[in-house]
Amino acid sequence: MERLGVEESEALNIANQLCQYGYFFPVSDTKNLTVRDDSSLYRFQSPYYWPWQNRPPDNVEYAIYLAKRTLRNKQRHGLEDYELETLGSLRKNLANKWDFITMQAEEQVKLAKVLKKGDKIVSDSQERAYWRIHRPPPGMVSSLEQCPVPNRCRNGSRVRKRTIEDCKREVELLKNSLLRTRVKVSQALESMMQHVETYAEYDPLIVNTQPSNPWVSEDLTYWQLNSPLVEIPTEKRVRRWGLSMEELVSDPTGIQEFTNYLRKEYSHENIRFWMAVNDLRRSSQSQIQRKVSEIFDEFLAPGAPCEINIDGKTMEKVHQEMKSPSRFTFDAAQEHVYTLLLKKDCYPRFIRSEYYKSLLASGIQPSQKKRFFGFGPTKKKASTSSAPNPSLLQQQAPPTTIVGCGALSKRRGSDRSLSGSAHELAISGVRDTRVPHSHSQSNLSDIPYRAEVNDEYGGTDPESSCRIKKPPSVAVVASVSTSEDVCPWEVTPEPHSRKNSSQMDSCSSSSDISAVVTEVSDRFRRTCGITQQSTLDGGQSSRKLSTVSFVEQRRASVSVPIRHSDIRPSVSSFEESSPAVFAAPVSLAVASDTDNKTEEFTSTKTFKKSCSLTKTCSVTGANAPIISVSSVTDDTVADSIEHKEDDEAESSLSLPLAPLAEPDAESASSDTPLETESRPEPEAKSNDVCPWEDEETCKVDAPFVKTYATLGYL
Amino acid sequence: MSRDVSVKISPVETIESLTKEAEHLKIKLEDERQKLNDVTLAAVADRLEIINYMNVKPRRTLKGHQAKVLCSDWSPDKRHIVSSSQDGKMIIWDAFTTNKEHAVTMPTTWVMACAYAPSGNLVACGGLDNKVTVYPLSLDEDVTLKKKTVGTHTSYTSCCTFPNSDQQILTGSGDSTCALWDVESGQLLQSFHGHAADVMSIDLAPSEIGNTFVSGSCDKMVYLWDMRTGHCVQSFEGHESDVNSVKFHPSGDAIATGSDDATCRLFDLRADREVAVYNKESIIFGINAVDFSVSGRLLFAGYNDYTVNVWDTLKCVRVCLLYGHENRVSCLQVSPDGTALSSGSWDCTLRVWA
Repeated sequence: MERLGVEESEALNIANQLCQYGYFFPVSDTKNLTVRDDSSLYRFQSPYYWPWQNRPPDNVEYAIYLAKRTLRNKQRHGLEDYELETLGSLRKNLANKWDFITMQAEEQVKLAKVLKKGDKIVSDSQERAYWRIHRPPPGMVSSLEQCPVPNRCRNGSRVRKRTIEDCKREVELLKNSLLRTRVKVSQALESMMQHVETYAEYDPLIVNTQPSNPWVSEDLTYWQLNSPLVEIPTEKRVRRWGLSMEELVSDPTGIQEFTNYLRKEYSHENIRFWMAVNDLRRSSQSQIQRKVSEIFDEFLAPGAPCEINIDGKTMEKVHQEMKSPSRFTFDAAQEHVYTLLLKKDCYPRFIRSEYYKSLLASGIQPSQKKRFFGFGPTKKKASTSSAPNPSLLQQQAPPTTIVGCGALSKRRGSDRSLSGSAHELAISGVRDTRVPHSHSQSNLSDIPYRAEVNDEYGGTDPESSCRIKKPPSVAVVASVSTSEDVCPWEVTPEPHSRKNSSQMDSCSSSSDISAVVTEVSDRFRRTCGITQQSTLDGGQSSRKLSTVSFVEQRRASVSVPIRHSDIRPSVSSFEESSPAVFAAPVSLAVASDTDNKTEEFTSTKTFKKSCSLTKTCSVTGANAPIISVSSVTDDTVADSIEHKEDDEAESSLSLPLAPLAEPDAESASSDTPLETESRPEPEAKSNDVCPWEDEETCKVDAPFVKTYATLGYL
Repeated sequence: MSRDVSVKISPVETIESLTKEAEHLKIKLEDERQKLNDVTLAAVADRLEIINYMNVKPRRTLKGHQAKVLCSDWSPDKRHIVSSSQDGKMIIWDAFTTNKEHAVTMPTTWVMACAYAPSGNLVACGGLDNKVTVYPLSLDEDVTLKKKTVGTHTSYTSCCTFPNSDQQILTGSGDSTCALWDVESGQLLQSFHGHAADVMSIDLAPSEIGNTFVSGSCDKMVYLWDMRTGHCVQSFEGHESDVNSVKFHPSGDAIATGSDDATCRLFDLRADREVAVYNKESIIFGINAVDFSVSGRLLFAGYNDYTVNVWDTLKCVRVCLLYGHENRVSCLQVSPDGTALSSGSWDCTLRVWA
């Protein structure tokens, strides 16, 4: 076991397998071929009988064996019922050989008598075990059973005779392979890893699905929300379209939306042509002719109703091909349309368009359901009013892939750190040490920064008249004190505070929960004892906003004045509904863990969160939240490493817990969280999550955030 | 080089000369590949976190087959499964409720291939009858009434799949070829020659517009084919025994294989070589089926030792073992949306894990 580095269960399984294959067998039990984890004895089969000797036993041998047993002591060698039966039938079938068989049997019995008693027992049992495997009692499975398929029988490898054609083909192939251009392994692997990392969040076997995996929870909501054609796709799905053109067109809803968008632009003939050619390629043979001419007439013929715009060379090729129409006739044209028009032009425009942004904003955010805010009786149906915090937090993924620039991994990293990756946290921890961060920040936000906000608010952005920028900087110092009854629900300080921030995000962004925000800020004020103008401000602004909404989710926010240090308040926000299923047991365990470590947890985590809430004065009176920064910074490396352990255990948990925020119902219209076009540098460097800024507000936001971030890091 | 020339000049190309040339080329090719082999996957993946926690448990057990389950396929609706067994039965399951919706008896035993069409309204299957037969699914009438034999091989059908269309079927066969058939007319659209032994498994490139597929065979080779021309465009070797299963990585840039040599391997198309081997000293049994999770991070492999091993494809370590089946795991597939994993076994059951 040690040598193989396996666990007991696996060792047992291997032993069982070997037993089933007849390499050894239980001494006392002739009926079953299983290895148990006790002290029972097993005997090795004589190598002569091992299956890899590959001598399939024939019936004559079996008959001899059975006959032999009939000749011997009844009590010890008596035959089982099924053996008697087979003996009978063998006797019938092998009648002509039967004399020979009995002779052989007698011979063997005689030989056996010469042996010592011990040897006799051993060889008897080995023989018996051998036949037990090769002629199993009825109803028992045999591992050695073979497929009746020629190739699967191992005797004599059945490789086809090679013809000269085969050889020629092989040589040809090898020659071609030599000419093939290859990339470096490192390059190939890097891109594979990137792909895997990007898609990890869409992998239900790695990340928990929202709202739940139907196979686990028996709840079909997930499938309902994600059926192939839906009216309102989930936000996550829309985001996925942003990853690549292929993602978009492999989703029926994606194609539909894309077509709708292009139709509005009067340029949907390209996508329609592309789809028609795809359809042609997959049509049944009988329809090829008809479809080819249909496509030609509709898209390619001079003066066609939906003429597509392709260059002369490609057109020529098409005309050539048209002479002998096949399912591949339009491949060249399709390729042209796909790569040059759709992928390089239409698709990027689509992803940048308002249309896409509004889809993103109105996307369903299913996670809401009961995971987080389960106990709010006042919970509204969240369907329309949702756009998620994951959206906010993970928003980056799409832009990263699109932008594809250097900051890529970093951004993704920051993204992940918020959703609970320990590894990223470690990175963030290394970055800076700013213990007093929280203070500087809050101070900052009440003085210079604020001015700026006002500035911006009044001056630079005239067209959105009632724009409110709310920079509530909330510094959460998460040092969980042993003291508290506090958070058995929260697992580690880290995710916990992270969650906090996100929740705050969620509340302020959705502006539904202003009450909670105020509550939090109140507590903050109390605990910190520092003027928290900003928080106050936050409270106010969210209150303002709250005129349109109710308290949608409730959260009890517990704040604990800290013992060990005077400056560090620990705020733990208690979520009643913390994911019922798995969080509970694990978190308890880890919680105690953290208790022990409390002293070591002198980390300061700061969460900056600037939420610029934009009320546009559009007809819908839309109310779109933009949360631009939410940064997590650890102050010490050691610390973050400290956390790492816990985090790792927890990461899988915290992922599903990952923050959700809901934008307002109406936010759909214009200002939606989308990818960052231009991202302030300091931000990129830091661990910030400022994934998206609205294109139109970008100009305003960027400097804003920049200053903010810079100041924050002073 | 001089030998190359002499080969070309020689008027009669004999099997011997060609074989020699092939050997020669193979060595050259291996050199070329080696030149670019600058790093191992595990080293690249070093910066990633380990997946040390997998909450995959058996969620459903589908009982109803009277004999070994040999093949299964998910419906595009993400909850139905078609499975075929040794006794010639093909069953359509609603895996979610575990109900059987159809049971079809084939006129043959060992139905080794079955597949759902992209529309979900059609299933195809084949086996020792050397054929591939299509059954339209309808709840109103007996599905066998409308069955249609689409193609016939000269040996058993080992695998089949619909290439993004209800109108075509791609099959792999014991006659060492693959073939693309027109469903409606039964016409052979394209055949794919090149393997030297039975084709055991095929898989389509994941892209919607992809026109390639990959096949694994008992000649230990893995070939990548162009569906349009019928030519082999890339080949991979490395396995020491039959390749029982092949699967494209979701990115479309790599292929995972499972073999009787008790290893799974990962071949990268762009690097044109093997980039990872998934094995362990304690694993001594062959692999019948492999599949990726939707991100490609996890590789599930069904083994002859009754287990399913879950591999971390990037870090090349085993994440966990799934116990449950009481005989060889013969087939295995991740559901289309990645929410679940189905496995079929010689113990006559199918299981759904999530």
